[in-house]
Amino acid sequence: MGQVPRMTLQVQLVLGALLADLGAELYGLQLCEATGLASGTIYPIMARLEQLGWVESSWEDPRRHVAEGRPRRRYYRLTGEGAGRAREALARVRRPGSLPRYGLVPWAGSAGVAP
Amino acid sequence: MSRWPSSEAANSADRDLLAGLLAVVAGTRPDADAGLISRAYHVAAGVHAGQRRKNGDPYITHPVAVAAILAEAGADDPTLCAALLHDALDSASYSLAELRDAFGATVAELVAGLRAVDGGLGAGMRGSPAGRPAASAAPDTRAWMIKLADRLHNLRTAAALPAATRLSTSRQTLDVLVPVAGTLGLDAIRAELEDLAAGTISRHGTGRAPRYGRLLSAAAALLPRATRSRWRAEWAGELSALPAGRQRAAFAARTLAGIPRLAATLRRARPPGDAPR
Repeated sequence: MGQVPRMTLQVQLVLGALLADLGAELYGLQLCEATGLASGTIYPIMARLEQLGWVESSWEDPRRHVAEGRPRRRYYRLTGEGAGRAREALARVRRPGSLPRYGLVPWAGSAGVAP
Repeated sequence: MSRWPSSEAANSADRDLLAGLLAVVAGTRPDADAGLISRAYHVAAGVHAGQRRKNGDPYITHPVAVAAILAEAGADDPTLCAALLHDALDSASYSLAELRDAFGATVAELVAGLRAVDGGLGAGMRGSPAGRPAASAAPDTRAWMIKLADRLHNLRTAAALPAATRLSTSRQTLDVLVPVAGTLGLDAIRAELEDLAAGTISRHGTGRAPRYGRLLSAAAALLPRATRSRWRAEWAGELSALPAGRQRAAFAARTLAGIPRLAATLRRARPPGDAPR
């Protein structure tokens, strides 16, 4: 569990979106919308974050999708440990002199991440 | 049972059906109460005496088949009794009160729960969530098991039904019941439901989500085997959230583009305890 994913811009965006509303659960399309990334980028990242234990996912309650007569959605959320480690990892890459300075990723504040 | 007289021929068919069911039950649950199950069978056979299914089979063959499917999955005695009696209340000759008196509250609740499930499915099909049963009336998962077995037998024997009916039933099966079967861990039932429903749709329909769903489903073959069904189901869920064909096409294309990387990620060593789902 000690591993850290490669903190690509895309991974930073995903972590930022999940940290923005802690405890919130997002399904794939919502993650696409929150990050502006394509689904083909999102799923491999989610699979990796899940392997590392930063993120967990589960099917929605059947009573909900059955009542609405549609297929179930898979929801992602940060684990307790994942939230802490994501904050640390984002803080490291967002230190002065790193990418955010050049406007390449959203500032911590804009994604609700403590500096 | 003495309540319903039956002919000699019917008696012999009765014995065969019941013996077949009890053999399946004994295979998975040697501790099952064969006397109780036989009693439920005889009541059902009496209620459905003279009734035929749309394909011409004696009606009693359906509840027996549903019970047999559930017995193969190891279902308990109340579930098997409720399966045998699940359509009995449709007949004016048998009431919920009689059912409760004869088989107890649990069996009666399961049969009533199945009706709540059917009500919810009907509301979903009409797109009116307001019609669904209240959360407090959430049926026992065993009622869902009966629904799954009921649908499975109906799909197995659907050849006599109009194509439009088979198509809409198959879509609902893929959209709703296959995921429920997965959630309940009923893998054999899930796989057969999926095969029958997907087969019907590919023969008869050009469906909505199914076109792109099939594309992604085929591409999921590139993923490690144990992970495929999860991603297929997840993408089906995403597709259904998209309103228009064009957006679905774009989603499918973007997701396809990411499948090789997803496959590579999933092939990395998984941490212990992270069982495939």
